[in-house]
Amino acid sequence: MTMKTKRQRAAGTAIAVAALLALAGCGEAKQEAAPVTLDERQATLYEHACKTCHEDPATGAPRTHDTVAWAPRIAKGEDVLLDNIVNGFNGMPPLGQCIECDADDFISLTMFMAAPASNETGDAQ
Amino acid sequence: MMLSRRRLLHYAASASALAATGAIPGYVASAFAGEEKRVIPWKNWSGGQSCTPAMRAAPASEAELADIVTGSAAPVRAVGAGHSFSPLVPTEGTLLSLDRMSGIVSHDAATHRATIRAGTRLGAMAAELAERGLALDNMPDINKQTVAGAIATATHGTGAELGSLSSFVTDLRLMTASGETLACNAETNADIFDAARVAVGALGIVTQVTMQARPLYKLKRRTWIVPVEEMLEAAPELWKKHRNFEFYYVPYSGMAIGITNDETDEAETPEPVNEDDEGLRQLQQLQEWLGWSPATRRWLIQTLMGGMEPEERVDYSHKTLSAERNVRFNEMEYHLPREAGPQALREIIDAIEANNVEVFFPIEFRTTAPDEAWLSPFYRRESCSIAVHRYHEEDYTPYFSLIEPIFRKHDGRPHWGKLNTLKADDFAALYPRWNDFLEVRAGLDLEGKFLNPYLKDVFGVMT
Repeated sequence: MTMKTKRQRAAGTAIAVAALLALAGCGEAKQEAAPVTLDERQATLYEHACKTCHEDPATGAPRTHDTVAWAPRIAKGEDVLLDNIVNGFNGMPPLGQCIECDADDFISLTMFMAAPASNETGDAQ
Repeated sequence: MMLSRRRLLHYAASASALAATGAIPGYVASAFAGEEKRVIPWKNWSGGQSCTPAMRAAPASEAELADIVTGSAAPVRAVGAGHSFSPLVPTEGTLLSLDRMSGIVSHDAATHRATIRAGTRLGAMAAELAERGLALDNMPDINKQTVAGAIATATHGTGAELGSLSSFVTDLRLMTASGETLACNAETNADIFDAARVAVGALGIVTQVTMQARPLYKLKRRTWIVPVEEMLEAAPELWKKHRNFEFYYVPYSGMAIGITNDETDEAETPEPVNEDDEGLRQLQQLQEWLGWSPATRRWLIQTLMGGMEPEERVDYSHKTLSAERNVRFNEMEYHLPREAGPQALREIIDAIEANNVEVFFPIEFRTTAPDEAWLSPFYRRESCSIAVHRYHEEDYTPYFSLIEPIFRKHDGRPHWGKLNTLKADDFAALYPRWNDFLEVRAGLDLEGKFLNPYLKDVFGVMT
């Protein structure tokens, strides 16, 4: 898969997740947003960077797989999300402390955190 | 306005910051320059430093790291958590992350020494040490930094008899510009060891360290509020009496918040809700509303803080010594001869309030024991550290320019990861082993592969 294709797919996923979450917020959705799966490399990035804050309630960051908390953020759109990630936003430091992440990684990781967990326990994957 | 007691008790703790940059690489990864891809700059935690490196790499082993060090564009700089405010990291060459070289390798149950990969975050290290029944003698108040970054900058906590994290290092592995990895300790490559324990990534890439730990222990943390002059008078007695002592001065309040930690066998108490960040935001609001009237601001803060009772918490050391810090800032911190500390802080308070400087972050006062690392700001000197902070969206220049001459007047040495304006000659005058360090550095990296423009200035290396 080319990077461009991955990016397009990530963007498509973002729109779909945002739409489903928005519908869910209105109480009109019958369908849950689908879990997002990370590849092995991105799962490692998640473990080293995102997880530190997004699985720690003390940080105030939106929790991984808390679809309600993520919905308004995802609704801002990919470009705004990426700007906020690169520059930092409120308490989140620039790049979310992921030094090796590229734009595709940031979007994929965000979609992963914004989507429901893929198992019954709700654990991050 | 609601400014709760807990918030007032804790907002000062939110003030501290900390440093960490280090040498770190692994798995050659993204170069971020593909045609269709958005070029993403690197930025530090505060957003005050940035760069767009030609290559980013995250090696997972020393072998991968050697390929990168020998084959990629200079300057080769490693970044940990990006908690350094000074320009240690920016490079147009190669930016390394050691995130993939993290975790504890092993520990010795008899000596309580643990061998730790360089990219391990301090918080993760402390948790893993605790699982092994161990803890470090001290921890900084921020624990997001990597081990290598913290050591590279002599990151410290507080305690008159407790050294910086660099002082806990008994062995380290250093990859040099040739790709060779040197094992260093007090007996083997001893000079390099003394230079590399605080080296701002200028000698090479530290890949692994062994640190002296101790059996896991608990601390009782006590927090209280008194008028700042009372705290300044009592400070010498408090840093002698308590294992860990620090205090914060709340600008324009006349009041100080003291914090001590002492060992205990008492049962742990429930973890309190961290309201530090909210407290800081309320102090920021007070500045916006009452900045025009320091007297009114002082009266209001004193009224709100008055009559508050001391608080206590018992927990394992790494939990009471470190906390979350989610309000970003830039910081200047100098390490002064300890006896000069209280007077220097009086002068700083006077300068701030006489000039009505815009600042709401509390000013932090800590102590650190001497050590033997050549570029440690604590080299053979009992020290106290005074730190001033400015909100990350505000221009720190006027504030820090006002305060730095006071630090300099008292023979202060700046924290390597924090903002300062010193040049090579200034550093040379402050560090007795400066020339020895320069000699070791030149011997390991004559071409300056690990020096960015800032470090060339610092070390007086001609380009």
